Amino acid sequence: MAGYKTETATDARSQARSESALELGFERGGCGQTVLVRSVQQPPLRVVRAFALPDGSALAHVHNVSGGLLGGDALSLSVDVGPHAQVQLTTTSATRIYRPRAGALPATQRNHIRVAENAVLEYVPDAIIPFAGSRFVQETTIELAAGAGLFWWEIVAPGREARAEVFAYESFEMNLDLLAGRELIAAERVRLVPRERAVDSPVRLGPFRYWATLYICRVGVAGAEWLHVEERLRLAAGGFAASASALWGVSTLTAHGLAVRCLAKHGRDAVTGLHLLWNEAKQLLYNREAIRPRKVN
Amino acid sequence: MTPGPSSSLSELRLLQLSDSALPIGSLAHSFGLETLVDAGFLRVQDLRNFFRGYLEETGALEATFCRRGVRLGCSAGKTFPAGDWAVLNRRLSALKPAREARAASITLGQNFVTCVLAVEDISVVRQAVQASESSSGSPEIHHSTAFGLVCGALGFQEERSVAAYLHQQVSSLVSACQRLLPLGQSAAARILWDLKPSIVQAAERSARGDADSASSFTPLLDWGAMEHPALSTRLFIS
Repeated sequence: MAGYKTETATDARSQARSESALELGFERGGCGQTVLVRSVQQPPLRVVRAFALPDGSALAHVHNVSGGLLGGDALSLSVDVGPHAQVQLTTTSATRIYRPRAGALPATQRNHIRVAENAVLEYVPDAIIPFAGSRFVQETTIELAAGAGLFWWEIVAPGREARAEVFAYESFEMNLDLLAGRELIAAERVRLVPRERAVDSPVRLGPFRYWATLYICRVGVAGAEWLHVEERLRLAAGGFAASASALWGVSTLTAHGLAVRCLAKHGRDAVTGLHLLWNEAKQLLYNREAIRPRKVN
Repeated sequence: MTPGPSSSLSELRLLQLSDSALPIGSLAHSFGLETLVDAGFLRVQDLRNFFRGYLEETGALEATFCRRGVRLGCSAGKTFPAGDWAVLNRRLSALKPAREARAASITLGQNFVTCVLAVEDISVVRQAVQASESSSGSPEIHHSTAFGLVCGALGFQEERSVAAYLHQQVSSLVSACQRLLPLGQSAAARILWDLKPSIVQAAERSARGDADSASSFTPLLDWGAMEHPALSTRLFIS
């Protein structure tokens, strides 16, 4: 009986370590400034406050106060951006995915994002760093209403390079469904298991270590306009990707937006390029400059 | 109940449908390989490794959708599931971020069903074309789903159909590499011969997933397909 209890206790510790939910609701106020009107926080995900940006946007930093994701952690982020509101979300630092205990479930994060009519969401986080032995699953659903705009990126590092951890994680999954109304305009199903399928294969990352995807959308913009934006972003990317350290691909989606793919040897090249393309696209689509998020600790 | 075609007849028809010489334009597309070669990321010595990875990722994904097409094609005699057909093709479109590669897949799919209907009037295939034309502004019929649909409608075995689709896809791409790289006939034949276990594995893997969860990770190939429009000289349409 004692042995049974010990095994049960071990199993319990190996299951979900913490469940976290962060629900954020933003609305545009009468004066034109977007404000955070609803915040339901179950740690470790926290938002301290929203900052007002000069263009009327609200900037919020999503902070994981536990320092990273551990095996079995189940995090949930729900964001509602109200009609005509403008929101910028970032992180306080890179998202670290730690090695789990033996038998633990993967760390998971589920994001459910709704951007209402003529609202804009700019999701510009730091990189995800999967540590050696880590297991991670991220699932994201983004729903865009009529006229809604989106700038959404994810950057994935190879691991803790300074510790010679390169593609040493056990598994990394990233799933995304991007909808305009009820129309699926982009989807991703990524499943990396480096021990089974080499990430540096010539069909996957080749000689590169970082990869990033940027989705740029504005529901209702015509296909011909997106081809123009695609061409302008391709030209802009050509300007700073002249070296062999980063590649940039730009292409229109099935409708309402385009995708940017980055492969880079160094994280800084991905970050620099993403900021430049974000700014270029925002000027083309909104006639406004992108405001780089001020980082807070 | 109408008896299915003899196995020899089925085999011959499947061979013709999966022949890279079928006049649907498959040899005009490199799906981004041309960019990779142009940028120096794909050389002759990389090809075996490249195509193994390709089959593990894109191959398994397309095989999943082909398999789903086979099952929809088997619905001959019942009401054609137009909604499922539209959702299947739209999902595959959403999974293809590169505009040219997405358009190429749709062009080949539409050419494929046109070619098939020109030699055999298959009710299910006709219904699928009509459903695609009526469901959205521009019809979306991908090559993998169309291939599967026709195979299912003709009563071909699902596993053989999926493997045949993958074989013709890889054959076309190896053929593209012969035009892009110093790859001779014998070497190309040996590569294609040696890839057969990987084709079988990709087909088997597709049986374990579904269209909603099938995964694929090919960022370097995606980049090649996305940047193909910017090549100053192009042998291929995609």
